[in-house]
Amino acid sequence: MLKIFAATAKELLLLRRDRTGLLVLFLMPAILVVLITLVQENVMELTGQKKTQVLFLDLDQGDLGKSLQKQLATTTLDLVLWDEGQKDIADIQAAVTGGGYQVGVVIPKGASARFTEETARLFQQGNGKGKPREMTATSVQLFVDPGIMAGLRSGVTAQLQMALTTIGLEAKLAQLGGVLAQTMARAGAEPEQSPLAGEKLPALFRQPLLDLQEHQGDSGAIGASQYKPVQQNVPAWALFGMFFTAIPIAGSILQERNSGIWIRLTALPVSPLVLFTGKAVAYMGVCLCQFLLIALIGAFLFPSLGLPPFTVSMHPMAILLTVVLSSLAACGYGIFLGLACNSYEQASTLGSTSVVAAAAIGGVMVPVYAMPQVMQRLSVISPLNWGLTAFQDLLLRGYSLSAILDDLGRLLLFFAVTVLLSWKLAGIRK
Amino acid sequence: MKPGNPYLPEPGPDCVVSARSLVKHYKNNDRPALNDFTLDVQQGEFFGLLGPNGAGKTTAISILTGLFPADSGSVRIRGMSFQEKEHEIKRILGLVPQDIGLYDTLTARENLNFFGKLCGISGRKLGERIQQGLEFARLTEHARHPVATFSTGMKRRLNLAVGLLNEPQLLVLDEPCVGIDAQSRHLIHEQLKEINRQGTTILYTTHYIEEAQELCSRIGIIDNGRLVEQGSPVALLQQSGRGNLEELFLHLTGKELRDT
Repeated sequence: MLKIFAATAKELLLLRRDRTGLLVLFLMPAILVVLITLVQENVMELTGQKKTQVLFLDLDQGDLGKSLQKQLATTTLDLVLWDEGQKDIADIQAAVTGGGYQVGVVIPKGASARFTEETARLFQQGNGKGKPREMTATSVQLFVDPGIMAGLRSGVTAQLQMALTTIGLEAKLAQLGGVLAQTMARAGAEPEQSPLAGEKLPALFRQPLLDLQEHQGDSGAIGASQYKPVQQNVPAWALFGMFFTAIPIAGSILQERNSGIWIRLTALPVSPLVLFTGKAVAYMGVCLCQFLLIALIGAFLFPSLGLPPFTVSMHPMAILLTVVLSSLAACGYGIFLGLACNSYEQASTLGSTSVVAAAAIGGVMVPVYAMPQVMQRLSVISPLNWGLTAFQDLLLRGYSLSAILDDLGRLLLFFAVTVLLSWKLAGIRK
Repeated sequence: MKPGNPYLPEPGPDCVVSARSLVKHYKNNDRPALNDFTLDVQQGEFFGLLGPNGAGKTTAISILTGLFPADSGSVRIRGMSFQEKEHEIKRILGLVPQDIGLYDTLTARENLNFFGKLCGISGRKLGERIQQGLEFARLTEHARHPVATFSTGMKRRLNLAVGLLNEPQLLVLDEPCVGIDAQSRHLIHEQLKEINRQGTTILYTTHYIEEAQELCSRIGIIDNGRLVEQGSPVALLQQSGRGNLEELFLHLTGKELRDT
């Protein structure tokens, strides 16, 4: 035990003396988590999950524009109203093509009159025999940035189309109500007796007969106010930072191997496992501090940047265990790299490439569900995926420790295998 | 492992190092690094292993200290083999590697403290050994300075002090005076003589003939992985009829350059 303490204390001393290296270990994931979360906040806007600004130019100044504004007020589209006296279609085109705005809507001059006229002609076709009359649709013009993401395009288009359909249906029903009243009058009945008379029709129309009820998985633990990217990004980038400690661990082993230290250590009455344990314990401390720093950034800095705070209210011990086992897996990989590679250059290249690749396929950068099927199947081999899945189960789905035992087991097994392989390699490296 | 040469005498009770018929091949090299290497070092001896570059000195030292095994042959340290009693052997063994085996960013005291603990020393005893080591290396005033700030001579002295932390019965030094000034070399030589006088058996590799002549009670000349001659410096000169050890060395190992 004394030897493990000595090895751990030595590693911590070496880390303390390498302030630049230590700073990079903490700064890199801290900067990444802030940047990526802020960027993803913007991506959420682009994919329609948050309010999207839409230029709105009403050249008609009639009822159609007012109705459309009213309909869109309840959507995720944030209308930026342009004054028709000062701007025209060319301005909208320039603003959208220039990238200042992604979407612009124009109500052409005379649109309300054309719409009203066409609606009035809706039932002017005699006794209902023969083909239905051809209607002429009144166009509302939509300008879309060619560089817009497909998700945003379809989201905006769907919401505009829904608003226009609603306005059209309301107009048709109002017209139908009128026709029905006239028909009843001709039959000698009082028009007021019609079920579609007066203001009843639009009020009836707005009441839903079918709706969509959304649920948060089976836990219901996360409220609608909590914003998932923060809960996902904080552990994801903390994991990324943790696994990057593999490179300094490998570097410390290679420094020993490439000097007389390794020979001296090999000649001492101490097992390589003791030395590995010392390294793993010291760097596990670094990983824990990394996670704590990133969690604190999520909890306290994010709100000041306009993001929701990161919360760890559920199962803190399970989260701590996940951090510890993820750290051990990262340390095991670093020790293995240090013995498998022959130079620091090799270890840093292989280490950084493999960690970035494992992060990519593990769902740190892009959620696994958004990947192609092949990559989704591949993601299960990434230790970062095991750690991230455990964190997601705890932080997003509200599961308890028992639900993440398989992922924790994989992380522990990965640590054990990498350390045993390293032990074997240490014998060969003699 | 193949049995040793049956015609060689059994090592006596005072034999600290006993190597029999060691053979070692490295990958991608047809020529063996060690070829039927046999050596006995007795208790209290200061044995110098002398040889040109690539003769097999470091390989021999590495096998004799258990860093890696020979392909065949046997090694016994105080009658114990590495296969059976590796930890016991390592407790009585001190190794001073050719490359500096110290952490650059740790201070002299921190290096001694770490390696001392790995030797299993603790408490007051460790404090005493660290102090002795610093005094031995003449680094008491630099105890709190990082090794990175030391000159090569200071590093070599500390490298030696670390090898002595466990008060080894057998001290193995692999070219411990490479690249240092005359003052540090002189100090190391005097200290090694003193350690040897106190009873520590020393196995010392060098390619400096005058160094071996000055320090060693017995010298073995190694070439092409085989011990080609051994004896006290005086006896070697008398037997060979050569005027000095360098003449004998060149006679035994040849004059062609050894660039491998």
